[in-house]
Amino acid sequence: MDRHDGFREFVLARQQSLMRTAYLLTGDAHLAEDLLQSVLAKVVGHWPKLSKGGNPEAYTRKALVNQYIAWKRRSRPELPSADPPDSGMSYDDATLDRIVLRRVLAKLTCKQRAMIVLRFWEDLTEAQTAEVLGCSIGNVKSQTHHALARLRMLAPELVDVRMEEVTR
Amino acid sequence: MTRLRSALAGLAEEAPLVSLADAAIAGHRRRRRTRLALTGVAAVTTAAALVVTVAAGAVVLPRGADPATEAAAVPDLPDGKVGAISRAYLTPCEVGKKTKRVDCGAVEWRVVTRSGRTYGVPQALTSSRDDPRVPVAISRDGRMLAYYSRAAQAHVVRDLVGGAEVTSPVKVEEDRIGAGSMLALSDDGRYLAFDPREGSKEPGLLVDVRTGRTVSIPGRYEVISIKDGAAELIRYRKTDLWLMPVTGGGKPVRFDGTFIMFSEIAPDGRTVAAVEFAELNKRRLTLLDVKTGRTLRKVSIGGLPKGSGIDGTGIWLSRKEVTVVVSGRSGGHSYALDVTTGKARRWADLGPARKHATVLPGVS
Repeated sequence: MDRHDGFREFVLARQQSLMRTAYLLTGDAHLAEDLLQSVLAKVVGHWPKLSKGGNPEAYTRKALVNQYIAWKRRSRPELPSADPPDSGMSYDDATLDRIVLRRVLAKLTCKQRAMIVLRFWEDLTEAQTAEVLGCSIGNVKSQTHHALARLRMLAPELVDVRMEEVTR
Repeated sequence: MTRLRSALAGLAEEAPLVSLADAAIAGHRRRRRTRLALTGVAAVTTAAALVVTVAAGAVVLPRGADPATEAAAVPDLPDGKVGAISRAYLTPCEVGKKTKRVDCGAVEWRVVTRSGRTYGVPQALTSSRDDPRVPVAISRDGRMLAYYSRAAQAHVVRDLVGGAEVTSPVKVEEDRIGAGSMLALSDDGRYLAFDPREGSKEPGLLVDVRTGRTVSIPGRYEVISIKDGAAELIRYRKTDLWLMPVTGGGKPVRFDGTFIMFSEIAPDGRTVAAVEFAELNKRRLTLLDVKTGRTLRKVSIGGLPKGSGIDGTGIWLSRKEVTVVVSGRSGGHSYALDVTTGKARRWADLGPARKHATVLPGVS
């Protein structure tokens, strides 16, 4: 029995979900892996406390977003992949949407991007998003508004006009 | 679901599959180790300052491993091409300065490239329940690295020059890795020999990592190398040498005497160098004919530092030169021995002399 067995179990169960979030945040597979690995390396240190009464997944997700923002603030360059995102040959609507989304997400600020990922991928409420990002609900509302406005300008086909009302 | 949500979901699905638990634990240990090292350096600095105050001019050097080389954090071995490596070594356990407690939690395998860069290999298992030193293997040319991956529950072969990685299709349970386990790798990285417990009667395994085909190696034999399509197997005490083709077959030849520290087969395909047990302290090698079992000649080694002892033999650099691993006060060194003249020349330095902690190309 290894003292890290509990952590291993947690990572085994949740790493793919966390990796998806990391990938949406960074837009690059290698960066996402680096990001998640560095966060998990910190989580190991807190594991005894987290496993007793904490919520490891929420903690890790929060650390992931904060680490991503910290990285971006240190102006770590985003390295867009030169390869097409998929090896599939058929460029259907969904594929085109993904290509467009990848491009427009790269044009958002790190906080706006985090808002989009947390609100529309993680489906967190405004209150939960504010908790993860350590900001006020008002800040979440305004950042989301700005992010959606930018998305709408860059890729109007992706964003419903009514979406903002729904999210409010 | 809106198009944005479905596009986000589609993009998220492009995230690659990962296995990060062991890497994260290794990262945590590295950070912790760096912190400890920095604390240690601070303590030594303070101590040195005190000594200077008491006796000007006195020099205090920390004993044991140099924290700058042993404990400093190094980057992890990246994916893809990193270049051939000259050796791999196991980092030492930490000993608490005050408590004197030994902590082996941060031990990891590291590789040193020929250009001098050092990388940690956190994915390589360092110890199992019964084996405090789970081995890695390096091909003769330093191009291939084999290790046991806990995540894959199998051995992994990395081509460090080409960038490819192959996981052995033959799963080996971690608990099977017993005390004194052994690993050897062929030059092309295709064949892997795994002995779960050297010196026991438990059979070993020769694995073709491309096809998953395995050949059982009788437990009495230990693997020295895999070269030119054959595994060199030794049965000690008698002493027998069996050049077993990688597909199985062949038969052993018996030597007259007891020999240890066998080299790989020389480029002539029929000579090996070994040390006769009775001559262990005489700095003398014996060249043996693997076809007939006859002793070809004895070679007394000249040019080794005083007080050093022979730790083993290794690969042949040419038809005349075989490498000899030597350890002494100044650390571990590899010498190239000209078997026609007996003269040895310094070939490579292996860092701090910690037996069994360094793995050289082609030496299992």
